[in-house]
Amino acid sequence: MSSNQCAQFERMLEEQPDGPLPALATAHMNRCTDCRLLWSDLEAIRTAGMEWGSEEVAPPQHLWTSLRVQMESEGLIQSRPAGAGWWATWFGAAPRWALAGASISLLLIAGMLATFQANAPAGRDLRAALLPAHFSVAGATKELGATEKLVAADLSKTLDGDLERVFASLPERNPVLATSLRENLGIVDNLIAVCEESVREQPNDEMTRDYLYEAYEQKAVLLATAMDRSESEGQ
Amino acid sequence: MKTGVNSGWSQGASTMLIALGLVCSAGAQTRRFERHFNVQGKPVITVQNATGRIQVRAWDKSEVMVAGQKASASVEVDTEQVGNRIEIATHVISENAGPDALRADYEISVPTESELQVRSDSGNVTVDSVHGDMSFDTVAADLSLQDVEGYMMIKSIGGSTVCTRCAGRLDATSISGNFQLLQPTMDNVRVQTSSGNILFDGGFMNRGIYVLKNYSGTIEVRFSSTDSFDVRATSLYGHVINQAPVVPDRHNMPAQTPRNGMAQSLFGSMNDGRAKVELSSFNGTIKISKRE
Repeated sequence: MSSNQCAQFERMLEEQPDGPLPALATAHMNRCTDCRLLWSDLEAIRTAGMEWGSEEVAPPQHLWTSLRVQMESEGLIQSRPAGAGWWATWFGAAPRWALAGASISLLLIAGMLATFQANAPAGRDLRAALLPAHFSVAGATKELGATEKLVAADLSKTLDGDLERVFASLPERNPVLATSLRENLGIVDNLIAVCEESVREQPNDEMTRDYLYEAYEQKAVLLATAMDRSESEGQ
Repeated sequence: MKTGVNSGWSQGASTMLIALGLVCSAGAQTRRFERHFNVQGKPVITVQNATGRIQVRAWDKSEVMVAGQKASASVEVDTEQVGNRIEIATHVISENAGPDALRADYEISVPTESELQVRSDSGNVTVDSVHGDMSFDTVAADLSLQDVEGYMMIKSIGGSTVCTRCAGRLDATSISGNFQLLQPTMDNVRVQTSSGNILFDGGFMNRGIYVLKNYSGTIEVRFSSTDSFDVRATSLYGHVINQAPVVPDRHNMPAQTPRNGMAQSLFGSMNDGRAKVELSSFNGTIKISKRE
């Protein structure tokens, strides 16, 4: 077949990647082996893409909560007015550049939790992947991608660093607030340590993993509260 | 002569004391505040006060009254009415003020059917006889609710909650706060705390759902012989102490059974099993006790 006709066929595919083939293009494809292979490859890619989309797992509620924090902090959306939902009053954070890192940590947590849920073959089985990298859970780590392992490895360090920065930015004039947040951070960290130990001993126990998962959620809530108070009381 | 000198000193001191008293009185007057807002129907009242006491009570007037006292001129109280929405907020206006100077105490009277949104860091929050949805966001502040009705949402970090004769629905979380629900008439209760204790002392309503969860500490529910509920109680590393005469679950609901050999669990029904009670703890103690 003439290369001229093949070039026209490819140009047509670029311009109308999802549209039906015109009669002339179909006629050319039936005669040209190369263009027929190109078409079948593109069909395979399109089909695979649609299958991935259909397998997408709905992200958990807390992902939206954390995204709301980030979007509000960037001024992309505003807190709901009075009378709106409770979550809106929980996380009414306003812009503050010093807290940007902490916001990213929240997103990191949300993203991790969502990723683990989406990748879990049986629902929440991969919640154990929340554990730091040095901690291996039999049967779970092998299902983690390299990126997820990297994220898991950095989570604790990043989160702790951001918490310290946020706590340091809390107003000194309200020592009760800072003391309470620090004390409760200690409680949550202790819970996480205890739960990690339990998951290490009982790697297949879903209930134990659920407790660990929720302990991390509580740490995220604590961070969000500290950010909120740091901003609102700093004004 | 000596007497005259003493007399002069005495008069001067008295004058200074009186003047000082007047100044203090004037200062107290300026720190005292009271504002009134006419409303119709069900108003929405939001309160933001970092430090201090917030008392909200219902009255039978179509008016919201905000009264109170601020500790110093370092804080100001802002109020705003937009239709049926009243916003009350304490703002710091002096960066150099100490913690004690930033306190503001509120006494707020609202129509019985009002919606409340309260945010406080430290201090106490009390709500009495308000019937409307309400949300609380606290850090270390303790919360006391009495004779309230509606959908209550509580988020605390370290503050504890006592809910006496509360009706409606409760959704509450805390990290180290305790929860006490005394004589509740609620059909949907979800309470979670990490290291705090939970006490539920009241009847379980038909078709009610009660989910109580913690990591450590004690979860205690008290039942009477006429209560009708299905119960699932699991403590992964702690204990389940049961006094209820439960029989195997009549509804054969699937249960998430722990694989942990150390876990203690109880699954069963009492009477017809009309309410659903789920109690779970990581290493705390769960008590299902007969009410005296």
